[in-house]
Amino acid sequence: MHNMETREKIQFKPETVAEINRIISQFPQGKQKSALLRILHIAQHEFGNWLSVEVMDYIAEFLNIKPIEVYEVASFYSMYNLNPVGKVVLEVCHTGPCCLVGAEKMIKHIEQTLNIKPGETTSDGMFTLKTVECLGACGYGPMLQIGEDYHEKLTIEKLDNLLNVIKNKNN
Amino acid sequence: MIKTAFINNIPFNFSEGEMILSFVRKYFEKDYIPTLCDAQNLEPFGSCRVCTVEVALQKNGNTKTVASCHTPVIEGSYIYTHSEKVNKIRKNIVELVLTDHPLDCLTCEVNNNCELQTVAAKVGIRDVRYPEGKNHFDRKKDLSHPFMTSDLAKCINCFRCIRACDEVQGEMVLSMAGRGFDSQIIKSNNNNFFESDCVSCGACAQACPTSAISDVFESKSVIYDKKVRTVCTYCGVGCNLDVAVSNGNVKSIQAPYDAEVNNGHTCIKGRFAFTFYNHPDRLKTPLIRKNGELTPATWDEAYDFIAEKINEIKSKYGPDYISGISSARCTNEENYFMQKLFRAVIGTNNIDSCARVCHSPTATGMQRTFGTGAATNSIDEINNTDLILVTGANPTNAHPVTGAKLKQFAMKKPMIVIDPRKTELARYAKYHLQLKPGTNVAVLNMMLYYIVEEGLEDIEFIKNRTEGYDEFKNHILNQNINELEKISGVNKELVKQAAIAYAKAEKAMSFHGLGVTEHLQGTYSVMLLSDLAMITGNIGKKGVGVNPLRGQNNVQGAADMGCQPHQGAGYLDFTKPEIHNLYEEFYGVKLSQKIGYKIPEMFEAMVEGKLKAMILMGEDVVQTDPNSNFVIEALSKLELLVVNEIFMTETAKMAHVILPASSFLEKSGTFTNGERRIQRVNAVVDPIEGTKPDGQIVIDIINKLGYKQADYNPETALEEISKIVPFFAGVKWNELGINGKQWPVMPDGSDTKILHKETFKRGKGKFQTATWHESPEITENKKDFPYILTTNRELEHYNSGTMTRRTNISQIVPDDVLLINPVDAKKHFIAEGDMVCVMSVRGKIDVKAHITDEVEPGILSSTFHFPLVKMNVLTSEISDTEALCPEYKVVSVNIRKSKGVYQNV
Repeated sequence: MHNMETREKIQFKPETVAEINRIISQFPQGKQKSALLRILHIAQHEFGNWLSVEVMDYIAEFLNIKPIEVYEVASFYSMYNLNPVGKVVLEVCHTGPCCLVGAEKMIKHIEQTLNIKPGETTSDGMFTLKTVECLGACGYGPMLQIGEDYHEKLTIEKLDNLLNVIKNKNN
Repeated sequence: MIKTAFINNIPFNFSEGEMILSFVRKYFEKDYIPTLCDAQNLEPFGSCRVCTVEVALQKNGNTKTVASCHTPVIEGSYIYTHSEKVNKIRKNIVELVLTDHPLDCLTCEVNNNCELQTVAAKVGIRDVRYPEGKNHFDRKKDLSHPFMTSDLAKCINCFRCIRACDEVQGEMVLSMAGRGFDSQIIKSNNNNFFESDCVSCGACAQACPTSAISDVFESKSVIYDKKVRTVCTYCGVGCNLDVAVSNGNVKSIQAPYDAEVNNGHTCIKGRFAFTFYNHPDRLKTPLIRKNGELTPATWDEAYDFIAEKINEIKSKYGPDYISGISSARCTNEENYFMQKLFRAVIGTNNIDSCARVCHSPTATGMQRTFGTGAATNSIDEINNTDLILVTGANPTNAHPVTGAKLKQFAMKKPMIVIDPRKTELARYAKYHLQLKPGTNVAVLNMMLYYIVEEGLEDIEFIKNRTEGYDEFKNHILNQNINELEKISGVNKELVKQAAIAYAKAEKAMSFHGLGVTEHLQGTYSVMLLSDLAMITGNIGKKGVGVNPLRGQNNVQGAADMGCQPHQGAGYLDFTKPEIHNLYEEFYGVKLSQKIGYKIPEMFEAMVEGKLKAMILMGEDVVQTDPNSNFVIEALSKLELLVVNEIFMTETAKMAHVILPASSFLEKSGTFTNGERRIQRVNAVVDPIEGTKPDGQIVIDIINKLGYKQADYNPETALEEISKIVPFFAGVKWNELGINGKQWPVMPDGSDTKILHKETFKRGKGKFQTATWHESPEITENKKDFPYILTTNRELEHYNSGTMTRRTNISQIVPDDVLLINPVDAKKHFIAEGDMVCVMSVRGKIDVKAHITDEVEPGILSSTFHFPLVKMNVLTSEISDTEALCPEYKVVSVNIRKSKGVYQNV
């Protein structure tokens, strides 16, 4: 039984709805669930860079699937944030090859500089630190990803510089 | 074509597409190849890899290791099930599993019945070589739910619970979140069980190989003295139950996998709602009303009181001033003796049963079209059909195990749902015809019209097997479709599409429930459903037919045994002289040929002074029959009201004599489920002290009244029944086996899965016509009472709730609620949980609101599980014109927000 009162707050913009419907139409009828990954990205973009339970329930309703079918997918991929994140998400690779060339040192340095642990966000809401599995840039480690950009062959200096640039840009 | 493959170098035959694991299991013992993620009622999954085997394409050739559960057998291949390599792989896998599983077996709930423990023993783990690393031992137990428990520290990520939730129940409450080390089972949005959408079917607990998911009764523990197989007492599905008994008390219930009816599944009621049986409220001594008070008495005092009163009323007024209502919750044998008491001992045909208030229109309607009222096919034929039509039924709530099967079907194949509410099935169905309550005849006529108009009839079938088609066709083509569209509120294009889909399906199966029968035109709707089946040739073969979802566990049986006023045991018409003679000879006494009162007529007769006594076997008419105030008035006029009951019901409170009966767990006999399957009910525990099985009580009264009848014994009772009920001819207690037999059972003991195969019971199938009429309830009351209230059921409770309210189910569903559309709620300033005053021309009640789009604007729906709410104060005494089944489904009401709480008038 659906309680009708909890709805109405979350809604895609009309142009987003059009885009989503276009994506859904690329899949055979009745297989609209296949569009889920792309819709989750769009939703994350539209609703503050993370997926709340309410947003995921909304998507489930939108796709006419069970909410749990959204949760299980969203929780599987590290690209989806299930908690609020900072403006900038530092996704540092901590898979074997990167660790061999110093990824753990980079992570430790970020922890100390920003005073946060992996999964946490700075108190000013600027940075979130995430450790992620292989980003496919093993030859260029240690590395991290911010949005769609890769930052490779990191050193302490490069890292400090990067953090400063971001801070200044956002001030 | 027979194909061969080798298991450990010995050739065996396999069938095309067979998986290696099931191939091996066919020839070796079940646990020959150890498994963890495999379960017998689930699809192969291939997650644990413990079932790994080596396969070579030729003898001594190169081998490949594969998971046997989901790898098909290749012809001529060599399968090695216990090679050195395989044994090593299995051992390594289990060893890895054990690195993250607490080794506290001795104190574990499932000690000695744990699949992980067994497999570990079998592969020979002696040591876990890996140093202690991160683990999940600190996960907290979830004890939030009254029935379900979880202890995910014990979880081995085999996915069996998730698959049971998806594949068996179709609820999709459980899933795996995260990945790698973070993987964990979630319940809805990572809630605990209580806050999740769990429907407490217990399938996950039964599927779990460890104690990671279990139930509060510890049904997987080995703490029991014996397990007794019996049949569930709740709905007409007839689930088989394995009841564990410890120290003479029922400990827990599981669903046997070898049960044809429920294949290892059952629902919250079957699995968990048994604790009522030794509830302190159980009646334990006969009670006689003295000076207005019910006072304890001995059995003999009670029987003497009854016999004296019956004899007095009989000699003063005549036997037709005495009546009885039998119980669809009791066994066939008990029902048989109940009707025998009235017919052969008291001498009247005033005997009816609650089949009257549920599926009597089905019996009447299908007798007129086919010749017999029973379901034409079997439930498991859901697997053999192409399209299913569900009319006026909400099986995921009322018949959960069949409902779950239908839901699985609807996820894969087309389903048509005709229902005023957006039921769970309607949400999955391809076509949902959301009609106004009381317009089934209109919608079914529209469907028939389009089938004829589109020329989709099965001409051959109509010509060979039926009669009356020309007249029928003429009638159907004269329907005014536009008007019917307006009446029903269902878009005619949608009806057309659904009709075409039904007619074009290779095989279409129809199910219906009380949403068809409990109407002014119930019988007519049933006849139109029969017409739909006949016009499309969907009768007499596998995967088709018209199948009423019978409400109560033995409502089929109560009618079969003759607990109805116009037909004797076996549906024989006693107004015919030869039948009358047959019965007289059989019972050895003079019998009445006068047709007796149907239940609604009984109440009217009481008010008119034409009925003075009533014996009720386990039926709470005050709470469950419509227009409660009228029922109370009628019962209060009686000189003798005897009630056999297990609890003090609203009706029992009015009795002159109460006889404490035993519950289904305490007696033996047979129940006949909705697919005509006669199954053995086996006493699990002794009767609670002070109680007797209803059958024994009835036989005691029979003897007290001077007729000789041996004590209650299902074996000898069945022997007697098989001699008079034609379709029970070959039924023998000792030959029913674990899965029972579907009637008609021939003298040689063979049974019948599908009816009307070559010819109909009545010879030719008869097309019947119907014209829609508005119920007088609406025409007379719609001005002052503009809303239509319809009644429904909740999954968690059963009927008047007498039993289920006395279990922890009350913690899950504590109240009746009124379903109301947001539009209507807004109009009356009603918020979720507010009390609403609902008024009909007969009275008013207060009930809690639940705002939902499950009902359309203008339509309300509620249940009558709770006596406090008194929903049936509102319902009307209008009945089906043919079978007198009350119209519970259409009540004209008005609503307003109320301040009061349960101020019933």
